[in-house]
Amino acid sequence: MIVCVAVVGHQNNPLYIQSFTEADDALKLHHIVHCSLDVVDERVNNPKKSGPMLNETFLGLLYPTENYKVYGYLTNTKVKFILVTTDLDVRDADVRNFFGRFHAAYVDAVSNPFHVPGKKITSRTFAERVSNIVKSFGLSSAG
Amino acid sequence: MSDTAGENEGGIESVIPSIYMGQFARLLEQGDMFAMQPLSDEEYVCYALTEEKGFKDSSEIIALLKKSFEAYSNFRAQRMASFCGFQMAREYFAVSEFSDAKQMFDSVASLYRQEGWATLLWEVLGYLQECSRKLGSAKDFVEYSLEMAALPILTVAGVQSFKDCGPAGTASLLQREVVHEEVFRVIGGESGIASNKGNNSLKVSNDHPLYLEIDLVSPLRVVLLASVAFHEQIVKPGAPTLITLSLLSQLPLAVEIDQLEIQFNQSECNFIIINGQRPQSAAISNVQPGRRLETAPVLTLLTNKWLRLTYEIKSEQSGKLECVHIIAKLGPYFTICCRAESPASMNDLQLWKFEDQVETFPTKDPSLAFSGQKATQVEEPDPQVDLTLNSSGPALVGESFIIPVTVSSKGHAIHSGELKINLVDTRGGGLLSPREVEPFSEDSLHVELLGISGLACEDESQTGADSIQKIQHSFGLISVPFLNEGESWSCKLEIRWHRPKPVMLYVSLGYSPYSSEPNAQKLHVHKSLQIEGKTAVIISHKYMLPFRRDPLLLSKIKPVPDSEQMPSLPLKETSILLVSTKNCTEVPLLLLSMSVEVEDDAIGASCTVRHGDEDLVEPALLIPGEEFKKVFCVIPDVNLPKLKMGRVCLRWKRKYGTGEQPDSCSTASEVLTKHSLPEVNVELPPLVVSLECPPHAILGNPFTYTIRIQNQTQLLQEIKVLLADSQSFVLSGSHNDTIFVLPKSSHILGYKLVPLASGSQRLPKVTVTTTRYSAGFQPSIAASTLFVFPSKPYFETTNMGETRLDSVAAE
Repeated sequence: MIVCVAVVGHQNNPLYIQSFTEADDALKLHHIVHCSLDVVDERVNNPKKSGPMLNETFLGLLYPTENYKVYGYLTNTKVKFILVTTDLDVRDADVRNFFGRFHAAYVDAVSNPFHVPGKKITSRTFAERVSNIVKSFGLSSAG
Repeated sequence: MSDTAGENEGGIESVIPSIYMGQFARLLEQGDMFAMQPLSDEEYVCYALTEEKGFKDSSEIIALLKKSFEAYSNFRAQRMASFCGFQMAREYFAVSEFSDAKQMFDSVASLYRQEGWATLLWEVLGYLQECSRKLGSAKDFVEYSLEMAALPILTVAGVQSFKDCGPAGTASLLQREVVHEEVFRVIGGESGIASNKGNNSLKVSNDHPLYLEIDLVSPLRVVLLASVAFHEQIVKPGAPTLITLSLLSQLPLAVEIDQLEIQFNQSECNFIIINGQRPQSAAISNVQPGRRLETAPVLTLLTNKWLRLTYEIKSEQSGKLECVHIIAKLGPYFTICCRAESPASMNDLQLWKFEDQVETFPTKDPSLAFSGQKATQVEEPDPQVDLTLNSSGPALVGESFIIPVTVSSKGHAIHSGELKINLVDTRGGGLLSPREVEPFSEDSLHVELLGISGLACEDESQTGADSIQKIQHSFGLISVPFLNEGESWSCKLEIRWHRPKPVMLYVSLGYSPYSSEPNAQKLHVHKSLQIEGKTAVIISHKYMLPFRRDPLLLSKIKPVPDSEQMPSLPLKETSILLVSTKNCTEVPLLLLSMSVEVEDDAIGASCTVRHGDEDLVEPALLIPGEEFKKVFCVIPDVNLPKLKMGRVCLRWKRKYGTGEQPDSCSTASEVLTKHSLPEVNVELPPLVVSLECPPHAILGNPFTYTIRIQNQTQLLQEIKVLLADSQSFVLSGSHNDTIFVLPKSSHILGYKLVPLASGSQRLPKVTVTTTRYSAGFQPSIAASTLFVFPSKPYFETTNMGETRLDSVAAE
């Protein structure tokens, strides 16, 4: 189950953070997302030789903590998407699929002429779309 | 994994260290028997984690975290390292080591500030607030609380609840307001904080007032941002201009300011703004008598809304007027000192720059919002002194050109006045020629400032003891004596041009209008003048042969390919040197003398010049364009292929017209101009032909016309003489003759002529040809012209005294 999704700008500032948990550890998820940026930086600066050389790099599993798994995705404008999930058996393809849909939603939100680039995303439509994607992620992987 | 965890938890107590290395096992009770079941790796991991979770020793935890902190730092994983640091700080906090905790929290907070993670920063600031509360540092507490209250956390409580945020509480707008109220209670001097464990050392009172400084990079800029814009960038001293002060705060609730003090770099302009709604707090101290006081009807700061105040300001002192600080008093014990910022160069607010909220301009006028500055330039007051330079036309090369400078006061008295003089080449080049060899200039300067003379006709003893006078080649500094209003003073600049070139003369007067103190304000008046330097005279010369006497110069016959042929002079023969001087300026000149100086070798003068050093009887006036000619006789004494001829020295001076003279006490200076004569080639002429005839003839009376040929060589010369008849004369003698002239001797041919007509008549044309040198000679028309009187004339002679006119022909 996805507990947190985040959009981080190229200056490593959070543009959008959303937690999907009823538990009390929402702040801890923020910490996890923040720390995962280090891993993203490292992956970006030292690209793996065997990695795919696509522009929209799916960074894959960034690091596992004891309870969570963190996945990362880098767009070509250096905007990062971070996904934190508690599922232990997550298929790679599902995550890629998730990020693809998430990226589409992000692009739509940023294309809004009232959105100022570099500032936080405050669109409610985006929030709804994201929750839909998150819900459907849980459904598809459960199957 | 979670299912099995529960099972294992039950079996945790039964895990025992193994007999064999590295292999833990579980001890199971089966009835009365004990069996060992080896643990799988997963089970062991669960066991280990559970064990560690129950770990309570903080110092061990801190040590472990420190190791991981260092490890992550080495990997340059800054955020992970700071997360470990954050956890370390939480441990310190838990064991009440507040100063260590505060230090770690501070470093973590700076990272969150930089990267804009507001919720994480909120959490850390909550801890920092508690630490400062426990440490009793009221200033830190207030700073952290204000920063917390001004964080961009805009979620209203309930949408996303962040529990477990530490002492800060949930990150919500409501909580920000709670923090805001709490900190303002503390600022106001109330120390009542419910959760406080009896720690009263956060008291802010009259004995412990609080003073916060917010500079350009402080995180507290979100709490109070002060923008100052002058409406004009340049103002005259004493002229009022407007200044707009704009304040912005991101605190969630309205803030009431009691008093604002605006401080400038020129402290006479400082003023205080009092809140009109709280006049009683205006009885605050620190209001010096005589300080300007303004009252603003409203001094309330609302969230993210600029508070704009516009006031008039004027300054008497020239220079830069800059608003430095805005000091706001909130309550009796709390002061915030904010550095003023210009709207043109204001940085974005940290953290808030990522928020999508309305941005407004500090001033209503958008141009001021983009280009307003917190400083303005106050000009110097206009000087009321006249500085005049009078120049009487172009300067002539070689003379000491006088330029009078007059300083007259029109409204200001002149204290400690200084006159600076600068000479600058108009083309930007210097006035020094580094390596040119100029035979006539004594130094290598083109234009030189010779001196500055004070009031003319006054002696030197007038200069006071403290007056400065410094003259260099192109710079001069002189002090001007004290002048009252309406008085004037003048001096004269003496400048000499060594080359003809235009020069800019810059004269600037610096003075204090009011007092003689060294740091009184100085005013400046500048004047510049372009002065042309011109060559006054052009000297040219010409060699001529004497009248009716022609020495044969071989160099003249042979065609020489060299285009620069030196003039040739015959040895020991008189040649005429005609020197002419032309006035090529627009100024009339007076010629005093023209002479020829012969170069003296060690062996003595190499040539003799007649009339060389005689002055003119009276100075000759040369109007512009006129030429003055003087005749000299030159007799070379030495036979040299290159004979230095010496120089023409001309002494002259400028003639001032009536009313043009700069000062009746002075006269124009004399100038000596030299013109070097080129070298000449002296040769011994092999043959000299001279024609002799009387100065005039009388009709009908015969006279003798002699042609003398001198042979100055060792060789026999064959000469052909041809005479053509002339209509006006009867000739007796051979028309055609070939004569042989013996070496070193002369041959004279004489002809008797009788004039038949009167007036200016042409003598018979003579042609003398030498065979050896294949050269011929014919006298010029002037030489062959003779005046014939109809009858014997009677001349009246006057006594000329010492007559200077010598007749060459009489030789």
